[in-house]
Amino acid sequence: MNAALGTAGVALGLAASLLGVVTLAVGLRSRRPKLLRVGRSYAWLVLGGAVLATVAMERALITRDFSLQYVADNGSTATPALYNVATLWAALEGSIILWALILAGFTVGVVVKFRTRLTDPLVGWASLVMLVVCAFFFMLLVGPANPFTTVAGAIPTDGPGPNPLLQNHPLMAIHPPMLYLGYVGFTVPFAFAVAALVTGRLGEGWLAATRRWTLLAWGFLTIGIGLGSWWSYEVLGWGGFWAWDPVENASFLPWLTGTAYLHSVMVQERRGMLRVWNLSLLLSTFSLTILGTFLTRSGVLDSVHSFTESPIGMWLLVAFAATVVVTVGLIGWRGDRLRSPGSIDSPVSREGAFLLNNLLFAAFAFVVLLGTVFPLVVEAVNDERISVGTPYFNRMTAPIGLALLFLMAVAPALPWRKASGELLWDRLRWPTWAGVATLVGAVAIGARGISPLVAFALGGFAAAAAVRQLALAVGAARRQGASPLRAFVGRSNGGMIVHLGVVVVAVAFTAASSYTTSATYTLAEGDSATVAGHTVTYEGMNPEDVSPQRTLVSARVRVDGGQVYEPALNQFPNATQTIGTPSVRVGATEDVYLTLVAAPEREGGPVVLGVIIEPLASWLWVGGGIMGFGTLLAAWPTSRRRREDDPVPSAEGGRLPAADVARMEDGEAGRDDVPVPSGVG
Amino acid sequence: MAVDQAEDGRPTSDDADRDALDDDVLRPRRGRTALLTATAVGVVLAAFIAILATGEPATSRLGDSPLLGERAPELAGASLLTGESFDLDDERGRFVVVNFFATWCEPCRREHPDLVRFDAAHQAAGDARVVSVVFSDEAGDVEQFFEERGGDWPVIDDTSGIVPSWGVTGVPESYLVDPAGFVVSKIVGGITAQGLEDLLGRAQAGPATDS
Amino acid sequence: MKRTLSILVPLLVVVVALVVGSSGSDGPKTSAERAQAIAGTVRCPECQGQSVASSDAPAAVAIREEIDRRVAAGESEEEVQAALVSSYGEGVLLNPPGSGVAGLVWVLPVAGLVVAAGGLALAFRRWRPSTAGPPSEEDRRLVDAARRRRRAGP
Repeated sequence: MNAALGTAGVALGLAASLLGVVTLAVGLRSRRPKLLRVGRSYAWLVLGGAVLATVAMERALITRDFSLQYVADNGSTATPALYNVATLWAALEGSIILWALILAGFTVGVVVKFRTRLTDPLVGWASLVMLVVCAFFFMLLVGPANPFTTVAGAIPTDGPGPNPLLQNHPLMAIHPPMLYLGYVGFTVPFAFAVAALVTGRLGEGWLAATRRWTLLAWGFLTIGIGLGSWWSYEVLGWGGFWAWDPVENASFLPWLTGTAYLHSVMVQERRGMLRVWNLSLLLSTFSLTILGTFLTRSGVLDSVHSFTESPIGMWLLVAFAATVVVTVGLIGWRGDRLRSPGSIDSPVSREGAFLLNNLLFAAFAFVVLLGTVFPLVVEAVNDERISVGTPYFNRMTAPIGLALLFLMAVAPALPWRKASGELLWDRLRWPTWAGVATLVGAVAIGARGISPLVAFALGGFAAAAAVRQLALAVGAARRQGASPLRAFVGRSNGGMIVHLGVVVVAVAFTAASSYTTSATYTLAEGDSATVAGHTVTYEGMNPEDVSPQRTLVSARVRVDGGQVYEPALNQFPNATQTIGTPSVRVGATEDVYLTLVAAPEREGGPVVLGVIIEPLASWLWVGGGIMGFGTLLAAWPTSRRRREDDPVPSAEGGRLPAADVARMEDGEAGRDDVPVPSGVG
Repeated sequence: MAVDQAEDGRPTSDDADRDALDDDVLRPRRGRTALLTATAVGVVLAAFIAILATGEPATSRLGDSPLLGERAPELAGASLLTGESFDLDDERGRFVVVNFFATWCEPCRREHPDLVRFDAAHQAAGDARVVSVVFSDEAGDVEQFFEERGGDWPVIDDTSGIVPSWGVTGVPESYLVDPAGFVVSKIVGGITAQGLEDLLGRAQAGPATDS
Repeated sequence: MKRTLSILVPLLVVVVALVVGSSGSDGPKTSAERAQAIAGTVRCPECQGQSVASSDAPAAVAIREEIDRRVAAGESEEEVQAALVSSYGEGVLLNPPGSGVAGLVWVLPVAGLVVAAGGLALAFRRWRPSTAGPPSEEDRRLVDAARRRRRAGP
């Protein structure tokens, strides 16, 4: 029943997306508006198919229908409800259903949002591209990653349940969907970029059309990555939040190129430049999501996250290759129309800063990509096995990160076109002093080491610059009568809030990775240990908590004579290893992170307790939240709407919206940002 | 001009003129640069995709070890079961299966009967034997383990760096050492008696370094 | 003069603070600290991505104990790492080797960044000739007029 329902959904999705592609293609080729309108409605059918497949799988999971191979492999009668629902994305096939569902949702979103421009070839091509991507994922569901295969032979009465690590923390229920919303969300700007290339309408129209979609995708990706990092902190038990694991890198790569794009796109909007570069960034962002999925799902790389090997790898690689060939080909074909009409007057200007920003983000992405795939490359070249791990990534990315922090402080203060030293100093004076004060303060409270100190100083500098910018803009908006909340809405204000979030994350990251103290103690009942000024007292074990799902032993540990924390060890019935559940005393200045390394051998015996003191760790999640909030503000519809539904200015005359944006930004933020004239003479 | 610019950010005619000039001057050069860039990007990506397409799955790299074909690291100590002392160097002349295990590990429990069978089959001929190294475990548990599941070969506790010197990544893991004292192969994960016989047969037939 | 001073003062404070801040962080000193630092560069063979310093997996514990023993016996970081490489292979080190094909992983990003930065600098130079010198009094008056007009209302 569930298998039939799900298979029907998948078939419907595949058929509808293929038919939609054909209809749109014919409609675009023969310029028949009617066909374009019809083609659009296939998006709804695709969504219908995806919903059907999702419902079928969830129903199978909830009713414990072990006749489905997927449920038999990943479900279990003992899994609690929340994790049972989340089992949809606990393994490869199910996660492709989720991917398809979100993709179909975005496709319908595009169709609905641009319903007034049904016959616009740009929108037509964009929907076509989205449907092609839909078709690909439904093809995966029909072929190599079919989640609805039934069990051959006798139907089991129970299954092993999802990977124990995935049923250990509620964050697992929201981290993957958020991440997928981000990954898949970048398909929308990608589709419009391809559409712009195909139709040759390479002005700034498609940028304006997809601005908000891109922001949304970026926001989801940011939150998804943040939640993933939080999850690993709460669950993995080594006190880490970022391990440069291939899967983490795979999600970080599109984030880096996406962030670069969000910045460089402003140069194009404002000055009509960097067209090829912006297209390349969007196209690589999309390609990187496919590549990342390949790297982590095909088994070529070791990873904590990798699912079992499956034939899906080849399909994803082919998709990646096809994307690359098509996009590079399109850019080559349209190269003549892509020559940027502008020029940059001075490196010391907003656009100069954006260029440098992009250089740094590109370098960052290159380092991460290189480090991730390099073991494979070396092995292919001379059969040598090497690892590229945390020390490499930290050493290579730290300077880039510091340079970005510096740029983040200076760039918002730079006017477009050209800045005089005087103006710059005027704007940066008090942020500079804020940075200096942060540095002196950090040294005074005992922080040591050049690079963390530089990071703190730059953090203070950048934060103050963002606050200054925000205060000016909000003040100006208030004077114009905006409500206190309204005054914060808008791209530049949202952007500054995101910057603040980034500073919080950067400072927390630096502190938590530079000043962590960890120790392992063997403690008898009643014994205490002191680490970095904190006293932990082992007060005994709790009675064993046995449930069909797992056996849990936990220790009672009093921290600083206050509350009792209970780090635990779980034994899942089908896992060979015990899995720890750390217990964390979250604090504003530092977290006390407790792990149960080994339970007592005998009743009343000593335990082995791991204690990690991590300064500022909790601010990582706060910073992530601020970034998400800022993105929301930036994407929130403003009263000064840009005319997104306007017909796109024809062909190359793409300077028009740029003027719009420019007017808006000048109104919002730097009222004093009048460019120093350049062409006068 | 400047006023225009300040008013609405619209490009001024000056700008346009300048752009046109730039374009004229730069066009041929840019064309070549674009072609070169595209070709370079294409070549790099093609090579990259080829590497990804031919890459072996990570799991196939498991049996690798720099010890293969090398003289076996030291392995000596008193058996936890009998207290007898054991030294790998005294075992020249026959094959030795060095098995790393722990009593809490499920695959170790599963492979144990096969080890028992293998050891028993070769005891009479004396051409091969098993020695186990236990780590991250308790002596009492080990005694009980062998009492319940059989096996009377030496079991050595890892106290002095045996695990790192053999390059053990986890349990269970086994190494086949040839009569001359060289490591022939490494097996990650549980073994079967048949698998061991095959390895042994191949090692007896071919050169020792062949894994 | 006043502006130069206003830049020099914070710069001076920064330099002093960094000098103070860099003291007392001369790297690990005790053998336990040295062992910990070495453990941070060694991959836990059982758990991907983590170093043996941050893992409690049995193999990681065994390797950590081996590092402790070797450091206590007076071996240098290189000697300890070489010993582990001889039994686990080059892959046991989280840092890729600095020489051979593998060394490219260190060189390529730096080379790429230098080339890209050079390209960007070149682009700026190419763009620059079109710009004029500093604004004249006339320009400033025009700008001021524009500003006033804009403040007065859009």
